[in-house]
Amino acid sequence: MVAAAPAPRVVSPFNPANAVTASRFLCLPPFVWAVDNGYHQWATLFILICGVLDKIDGLAARVFDCRSAFGELFDAITDGICYGFALILVAAYGWAPVVPVALIIALGLANTGMRGVYVRRARRPVNYKSYAMERIVAYTGYLVGFATAGFEVTFYYWLFVPLMALIIGHDAKRMLVDQIPPAPAAHAGGAR
Amino acid sequence: MSTELVSQDAFYWFVTALTGGVAGAWFVYDIINLIRVRHADAADPLIRDRRFGYVMGIVIGFAGVLGCLRFHDVV
Repeated sequence: MVAAAPAPRVVSPFNPANAVTASRFLCLPPFVWAVDNGYHQWATLFILICGVLDKIDGLAARVFDCRSAFGELFDAITDGICYGFALILVAAYGWAPVVPVALIIALGLANTGMRGVYVRRARRPVNYKSYAMERIVAYTGYLVGFATAGFEVTFYYWLFVPLMALIIGHDAKRMLVDQIPPAPAAHAGGAR
Repeated sequence: MSTELVSQDAFYWFVTALTGGVAGAWFVYDIINLIRVRHADAADPLIRDRRFGYVMGIVIGFAGVLGCLRFHDVV
């Protein structure tokens, strides 16, 4: 007699890890307030809290065992919205150079579009995992902090653009052309 | 509410420590990661992706430390 394969584990989207991810949006109103009033240190603090929460949600997913493909995707979307909004805001207030910010936003949108194509090709909610992209996303969080702190802003912003372009060019082939790995059998999704 | 949390000097050193510390640690961490996968099968797309990611991590880590040194007029 052959044993039945274990049913895929279903994780509710209303779990502690996703709650932490969603709470990152709460950093944006005080961030806007700080930038609007010219409080550089407060603005740095709020974007730092947003970055720390990004690390805590992954930890919460492991501790509460609520990792899911949706959570992974939600995390990536939250990264894009929080950091994208913060970048536009600091550029609008003249705290960061406009041209590299515009290029970064354009590259980010191109990356989001390719991720959308990847999800459609996979026919399931799946986050494209890229080691290089993970590193550049961490750099993006820092970029906002550099602008709010007035810390080597031109150097860090202009260096970021070719690095991001290189990584997106590298990832494009895997997202648009290469075969997509099958979903893990025992889990509804991969690592958060 | 005060417009500043700490003195400007303390704030800049905090940002320096946070940036230089994380970037430096990341630089070393990804060098170690890259050494660990040096004998892995390069035909595997996942291995190639990991190698590329580690190289980018090394570049980003180096840039982070370089920016801190530039800010303090060391280089």
